[in-house]
Amino acid sequence: MGSNLLDAELVKRVQAGDTAAYDVLVQKYQHKVVNLVGRFVSDQAECYDITQDAFIKAYRAIGNFRGDSQFYTWLYRIAANTAKNYLASRARKSPNNTVDVEDAEHFEGESGLKEYANPENLLLTEEIKQTIFAAIEALPDDLKSAITLREIEGLSYEEIAEVMDCPIGTVRSRIFRARDVIDKELRPLLE
Amino acid sequence: MSELDEKLSVVLDQYSDDEHSEAVLNELLDDVNLQYKMRRYQMIGEVMRHELPDQINPDLTHRIMSQIRQIEPEQSSAAITKTSAQGFTLPWALLKPFAGIAVAVSVAVVSISLWQTLPVNPQPGDDGEQLVSVEQQKIKVLASQPMQGNPVTVSSNLGGGTRWIVKQDTPALQQKLNGYLVNHTEYSNSMQGLIPQARVAGYDAEQQ
Repeated sequence: MGSNLLDAELVKRVQAGDTAAYDVLVQKYQHKVVNLVGRFVSDQAECYDITQDAFIKAYRAIGNFRGDSQFYTWLYRIAANTAKNYLASRARKSPNNTVDVEDAEHFEGESGLKEYANPENLLLTEEIKQTIFAAIEALPDDLKSAITLREIEGLSYEEIAEVMDCPIGTVRSRIFRARDVIDKELRPLLE
Repeated sequence: MSELDEKLSVVLDQYSDDEHSEAVLNELLDDVNLQYKMRRYQMIGEVMRHELPDQINPDLTHRIMSQIRQIEPEQSSAAITKTSAQGFTLPWALLKPFAGIAVAVSVAVVSISLWQTLPVNPQPGDDGEQLVSVEQQKIKVLASQPMQGNPVTVSSNLGGGTRWIVKQDTPALQQKLNGYLVNHTEYSNSMQGLIPQARVAGYDAEQQ
């Protein structure tokens, strides 16, 4: 059971009435949904309101989710529709919204949230980024290569093992150790 | 650094067997700190891929879950209703054909009840004249007229019952009473030609 299967199991538990399982799904996908909604609206507060609304709609509708698609695909569709409905109800369009709904989740452009940024959250986000990049730079080469191949290149454990010429167990261990080192730097910022 | 953390890392990479994933999931649901760790592990990947929003809102999860906990009772009751409905899917399917019959029977019962509660005789203040048929009016006229001819002897045998006993040597009276009974029976309730149920009028057949 990988991450997608983990999602499926979490969804099953939510459908059985376990709210804590939905908490995990929210934590897992909130930033992705914020990024998607950010393609449609430029106001920070509106973006988070729509994101919140989308998660609540998804929760209400999760009893009807049959698992025919991935949970995140289904969630993104709800988020995109929520944003579109919001824009329609406000009868205005985001000035930066030139992206088709279907392509929004894969859009690589800048988010339109900068203008209305909350300085405190902006500072925190910037600190997080700097801390993570600094921690990655300080990693030993084998750990840095493993985490980079995994997170940026999206290679599977088998592919990384082939590239790095080591057993899969070693890849698994290196990726975890890299995350653990970075996490030790990151944790104080988020507590 | 724990074994569980490593399993979490593997599960997030979609590279874990069911047994390990189940264990991680159970721990994840019970351990808030492990949830925070998962969130940070994900954040590392998001930053590396430049997918982290320009500004994060640390309270977003709390806001969402607070709202969801408010609607949770409503959702739960809906779920219970749905579960109950699903539980009776088969019996309902079997009973469905009988639903129409049940409705028809109900309508029939209500119709009969209403019919029987219709006033048999005009009540004081009712505009009963409009409901009285021509034949009934004739009967009323006849009844209001004085009886012509010799008086007929009708005896009452109260000791043997409450019925009138007509003597056998008065065929004209018998015929007249029969006529009244037929008229009364047919035209009671203002329903011509229909004999109302549970309304029997008669006189003692054991005529002397």
